[in-house]
Amino acid sequence: MNLGEELINAISPHNLFNINIFGLSIPVTDTVMTTWLIMAFLIIAAVALTRNMKLIPAGKQNLTEWVVEFINNFIKSNIGHHWEHFSAYLGTVLIFLLFANVISIFNIIPSAEELYKLTHLSIFEKMPSYSIRPPTRDINVTACLALMSIILTLFSGIVIKRPKAWLKSFAEPVPIIAPFKVLDYFIRPTSLCFRLFGNILGAFIIMELIIIVMPAIFPAALSIYFDLFDGALQAYVFVFLTSIYIAEAIE
Amino acid sequence: MGVNGLVALAAGIAVFTGVGAGIGIGIAASKAAEAVSRQPEASGKITTTTIIGAALAEATAIYGFVIALLLILVRWQA
Repeated sequence: MNLGEELINAISPHNLFNINIFGLSIPVTDTVMTTWLIMAFLIIAAVALTRNMKLIPAGKQNLTEWVVEFINNFIKSNIGHHWEHFSAYLGTVLIFLLFANVISIFNIIPSAEELYKLTHLSIFEKMPSYSIRPPTRDINVTACLALMSIILTLFSGIVIKRPKAWLKSFAEPVPIIAPFKVLDYFIRPTSLCFRLFGNILGAFIIMELIIIVMPAIFPAALSIYFDLFDGALQAYVFVFLTSIYIAEAIE
Repeated sequence: MGVNGLVALAAGIAVFTGVGAGIGIGIAASKAAEAVSRQPEASGKITTTTIIGAALAEATAIYGFVIALLLILVRWQA
């Protein structure tokens, strides 16, 4: 395959298998499969790190407490008074995005065709090819995350300030900016979605091109910037911007 | 000019938004260097603020890149 076809093959999500329940046929793409892997890893890690907790922390409990304190301080410094309601969800999104953006450095499973050529077992002949790629390079995932952020902002504004004060806050400080404030509710999730999607997709395309050209030591050195730093920064910026929007809605 | 020529031209114009991001982030970095030179003890906070500002300013360049990518992937007639 030439370069363009290989690249398009890497970017677009593939159908792995279909789940047939209740008469519906639900397609499962490799994005969903990678998300399940991340969820399984995080749930098992959360259960394993919080068993046998002692009052004086020792060992891995130190790490857990450091992570939770970091997230709490970060949310408290941005939102202010009502931070306990939000720190659980925003911390979860932060940890999920940190793993999801970075996960393409774990792409060490050989694909099904290569396994078939190595071992000639018939089970590998018909398996769909699957490699671990960041799920946020699919715009569905980032659109869902942005949609959840804006719904959280909307409901936090309506519930914490009572509905009348929330409606009146559209007209502050000058009544003429009310349509712009309404438009903000559409522009902000779009920009969140495309910022995350564009950054991760761009970094992934550059890494694929480098791997196609020179698969030796060069990708490892460059993937420190493109995969790790870029992914971590975009996760941080996503949660930071969501907390700023919530703080502005609560005031 | 066929469809492919227009698609390529449009994609080239769309990526021009990178110029604005480059200038903006350059200005932010220069102000950060000035601020560190004035008060070297606050260099941790200054670095954090610079990085956050750069990540936000880069978003407009990324929008142009995404549009160019969509043009080439969806509208290229092989």
